[in-house]
Amino acid sequence: MEYSLSTILPIVLLPFFAFVLNSFIVKKFTKTAVTISCLAIFVPFIYALRIFIDFVFNKYSADYYIHKTFTWFDLSSGSQIFKVQMGIYLDNMSAVMLLMVTGVAFLIHLFSTYYMHDDPRYGRFFVYLSLFTSAMLGLVLSDNLFSVFIFWELMGFCSYSLIGFYYEKEGAGNASIKAFMTTRVGDVFFLLGIVALWTTIGSVTYVDIYKAIAENSLNSPVFLFGLGIPIATFAGFCIFMGTIGKSAQFPLQVWLPDAMFGPTPCSALIHAATMVAAGVYLSLRMYPLMDAGGLLEAIAYIGGITAFGAATIALVQTDIKAVLAYSTISQLGYMVLGIGVGAYNASLMHLITHAVFKACLFLSAGSVIHSLHDHHTHTAVQEMPRMGGLRKKLPYTFLAMLFCTLAISGVPLFSAFVSKDRILGDALVMATRSSVYLIPAILGLCGAFLTPFYMFRMMFLTFFGEPRDADLFKHAHHETLSFNRNIPLLILAVFTLGFWYSGSLTGQGIGDKVFPDSKYEWFQVLVEKPVLSKFTSRTTTPLDVPERKEFIESSHYDPERGFASEEEEHEVHHIHQMGAIASIIIALSGIFLAYCMYISKKFSPAWWTTTFSRWTAALRNRYYFDHFYVDVLIQKGLLQLNNFLAWIDMGLYDRYAVDGWSKVLTLFYSMSRWFDNIVVDSILVDGTGISVRFFNIVLRTIQNGKIQFYFLVLLLVLAGYVLGFKPVI
Amino acid sequence: MGIAPYIIVSSILFVCGIVVMIARKNIIGILLGIELILNAAALNFVSFTKFSNSNLDGQVFALFIILVAAAEAAVGLAIVIRFFQIRESIHIDSATQLQS
Repeated sequence: MEYSLSTILPIVLLPFFAFVLNSFIVKKFTKTAVTISCLAIFVPFIYALRIFIDFVFNKYSADYYIHKTFTWFDLSSGSQIFKVQMGIYLDNMSAVMLLMVTGVAFLIHLFSTYYMHDDPRYGRFFVYLSLFTSAMLGLVLSDNLFSVFIFWELMGFCSYSLIGFYYEKEGAGNASIKAFMTTRVGDVFFLLGIVALWTTIGSVTYVDIYKAIAENSLNSPVFLFGLGIPIATFAGFCIFMGTIGKSAQFPLQVWLPDAMFGPTPCSALIHAATMVAAGVYLSLRMYPLMDAGGLLEAIAYIGGITAFGAATIALVQTDIKAVLAYSTISQLGYMVLGIGVGAYNASLMHLITHAVFKACLFLSAGSVIHSLHDHHTHTAVQEMPRMGGLRKKLPYTFLAMLFCTLAISGVPLFSAFVSKDRILGDALVMATRSSVYLIPAILGLCGAFLTPFYMFRMMFLTFFGEPRDADLFKHAHHETLSFNRNIPLLILAVFTLGFWYSGSLTGQGIGDKVFPDSKYEWFQVLVEKPVLSKFTSRTTTPLDVPERKEFIESSHYDPERGFASEEEEHEVHHIHQMGAIASIIIALSGIFLAYCMYISKKFSPAWWTTTFSRWTAALRNRYYFDHFYVDVLIQKGLLQLNNFLAWIDMGLYDRYAVDGWSKVLTLFYSMSRWFDNIVVDSILVDGTGISVRFFNIVLRTIQNGKIQFYFLVLLLVLAGYVLGFKPVI
Repeated sequence: MGIAPYIIVSSILFVCGIVVMIARKNIIGILLGIELILNAAALNFVSFTKFSNSNLDGQVFALFIILVAAAEAAVGLAIVIRFFQIRESIHIDSATQLQS
């Protein structure tokens, strides 16, 4: 496959054209619009599959990349160069992301044709989905932070619109505004980071940033409040703030649970699989910057706190989607933790596996919610206490959800066991090397214990036991296999199995046959941290010159890289093994605890909530973060600030500056009136008349035409002259 | 006998002419005053020539002055006649305007 702009850009443009077209025809031709939307994601999916196969099987090399640019606009004049270039950057990571995004998005489009079918705004939903998909694919293919930011904001807009999709519902509008404003906090920092890089490097493409880092040209300090911070730290922090906002990390995690007001397929696509993962993707792309800025410890702490804290809140949630929302925050925390401990590959792997199983979980939850219809209030039921025993009614959904729950719990043979354990293993390795990483590693392990517990609590409350709301259960329709309801779920469920990612059921095996050089799994070889040295030799290439590396026969992956010695590698391997065994034990004990609490009822959940009532209250109130933001930051802080500013505006500016100015002006006007009346009118205008009249009198007297008078004057002048008076003239 | 009696006579003539010119309201009288002044000047020329050197420059000038005075009297009288035809008066104060 020949890669050029015209062959790769359709991946982004097809959904975008679908969006443009559909926004016009959606009212009249809803069905056509939906078909167009689905096709406009299916074709990119085929494209992405081809690219993926090409990258993984044909041109296989971890440091192979394609970078093509075109000039967006050029405002250069003379020596002043201001040229904004857009382009695509396609490497193995983009290829994997493309396949994941298109695949998951296509399945969610398919599911939406079932889930949203009876909605009055059925077509509009697909319009937003198309725009969103286009933006996400654009973000994955972007070669520079500026276009990433554009697509980032487009996704934010789609998220905003889809959270407020059911705008009749109380709270949906507020939730959408909350999501938009909270992520905006991070986005402002992100933009600041872009500007910082732009002013330092003069370009924001990935390759130029990598090159600048490799050449150590980002060490010059910026001065902030008198403190000199290296530009790499400043820019890295700002860009990571963007991740915190978008990926709902501590302390900006408050928007994601409220985002569940949106339709469930949109939660699956935007708030589980792709958009929130885009933050992690950005941090992965900017990993060298964060590394150079020395931010990794802080990132690990943020990730660990988020992973553990969100997991604890998920324990007490009763809304099925809220559990999944907190689970998403928690899993995103693991990815960020992975970035923080340098588990670059594992973090991306967890992003992919999480996208698959969390999309499936959300779709399954949607399937459950859709089948439960309250005939009294005419609403769908999301509360788990009213469910129970649904596995008989919804066998296929149950099967899919069970697979995903096993996957997220980290049970062996499933995907998260492969990905999450590698993150935790690396965290443990870092913890043995430096005590700074001890707390994030412990928080990660505790979260790994809570994850299976709350997920199986959700499973047990939903599908097992006796129906707690008999009336609701009776009205629930029995599920039959349908292509747009169950097939997407089952396909996604199949891809929660671990061997797709590890190459074998145990993590070793098939990979050896495909890549005999490597004793590692294919995914581990596929993506590696950007090797900065290869960017230093890069000179600025002329426009549109394809930058292709030679076809590389064998993998350049050097498994020994990063290990000082054989013993150290052995030790790392040992710790990873210990971590894997520990997490199997942790996962199984979590499941067992959930079983004891909700199936065999050995321990009563009520005992825990009454004994630790204050903790439960704290968890139910989400650690009072919303209270803190609303009551303290906004009410006490922001509103007070507003009042203060209003006081400055009205009390100072209006009162003194504006009114005072009017006084000054009045004075000035009276002065100028006086000046006008006295000086201009009386002296200048009337004075001119008077002086003219005066000279008139004088001249008329002199020039009277009497010749004898003239003669007398002449005589007097002459006489005066003779007598010694010098005449004036 | 020196030059003084000549100068005195011419001065008296000059002053008489001035007085006539200023005091008289009759235009013809004023012309007469001018004639007196011219004569005083001619008398001066002649007397200064007589007492300073031996040539006849002064006398020649006096002749010229008499000639000029005659021409001037002719022109002046012509103006006076024309003026009288317009204004029916030869009073000097009726000649205060540049146009009729």
